Amino acid sequence: MTTLRTDLTTPPPRLPVRDRAAARQRAWGGVSPMLGRLATERATGVLVRERGSLYLADGEVVHAESPAVPGLDVLLTARGTLDAAGWRDAVGAAGERSRVGRFLVESGRIGAGALEVCHLGALYDAAYFALSPSGAPGHFTYGDRHWLGPVRPVPVAAVEHETLRRRALLHRIWPDPAPDSAPLLLSGSPAAPTVTARQHAVLALVNGVRTAADIALALARPAFHTLVDVRRLAAAGVIAPKAPPPPAVTAPPPPSASSVSSAPPAPPGTLPPSFADPNITLLKRLRDALEAL
Amino acid sequence: MATTETALKEALTSIEGATGVALVDYTSGMALGTMGGSKTFDLNIAAAGNTDVVRAKMRTMEHLGLKGEIEDILITLSSQYHLIRMMKGRGGNGLFLYLVLDINRSNLAMARHQLKRIESEIEV
Repeated sequence: MTTLRTDLTTPPPRLPVRDRAAARQRAWGGVSPMLGRLATERATGVLVRERGSLYLADGEVVHAESPAVPGLDVLLTARGTLDAAGWRDAVGAAGERSRVGRFLVESGRIGAGALEVCHLGALYDAAYFALSPSGAPGHFTYGDRHWLGPVRPVPVAAVEHETLRRRALLHRIWPDPAPDSAPLLLSGSPAAPTVTARQHAVLALVNGVRTAADIALALARPAFHTLVDVRRLAAAGVIAPKAPPPPAVTAPPPPSASSVSSAPPAPPGTLPPSFADPNITLLKRLRDALEAL
Repeated sequence: MATTETALKEALTSIEGATGVALVDYTSGMALGTMGGSKTFDLNIAAAGNTDVVRAKMRTMEHLGLKGEIEDILITLSSQYHLIRMMKGRGGNGLFLYLVLDINRSNLAMARHQLKRIESEIEV
């Protein structure tokens, strides 16, 4: 009896609880565990993640793409660094051989330095989104090469380091990530006197419908750079993210409606339809987290 | 028409007294290329930090309603010159060249002139 009583008063052993910050770091905060392994084995191919793809050659990053960012063609042609016809010709002439970059330089359409600078800008921009925390694990296809061909390969560690630095930079400017993906509204307060010419161009496009990604594309600026401007403007109180519409209360929620309300707002076209089902997304996140242990 | 690497290497070897040079994107604070520096002088950290210098100056100019553009910014330490040269170019992405000079071995006027030439070689 006494033993039973002492047993009852003794608190049950503490359940093992993971440190949430550390778990997030292990699971997906540390950019991508898979990417590190691919770099070690000097892999060649493409890593496809939820919000973008990274192309590797011999374990180094040669290119990155994301539907959230303006592509290299947009960045090059928007300000006349290269004309659109020149880009099309190069893709037609050298795309098959995966040497578009080299062709552009050798045919004198663009200087090697200018191409490198624009390409590096586009690569790190897309990589920031491709490596953003995702609800689904990435998958790697060995052997795939990008048609652009190598311009200036970058070590995986440098891309990971820069991506984390960029996350920290945005967080320092304004810790709320809501303006990154939601439609943006002018908050109605008079523009702060510190708004720069670059930011005025962003403000001119804020209309309650466009997201930061839409504005980046319209201005043909890197999407991350637009996020920096958007977060600075949000911090200054000049713009605010539009609140998501309240869920409909009339009919019992159909599965599609529930997935819309539970998923974070994302620019159209960034989520493949297969990831829209919340149950599958949850299972994939679980698998991702377990794999990362 | 040089690659960024050869242009930066040229800056380091041809500019008298140069100990480090970086090509920096000032919105993100990322160094697109660095050359030189040392264990005690991390050019990547210098690049990120100096974007704040550039931004502060630009903001001040906006406040004052000055329409001109920054050509370069000189910071003089007791033993070093730090020279920031804004790149004009069509890219419009906001790049600058960052050059570290040893004050005792350098000719500032010549260094500014040479940096201008190196900018035109990268010509974004």
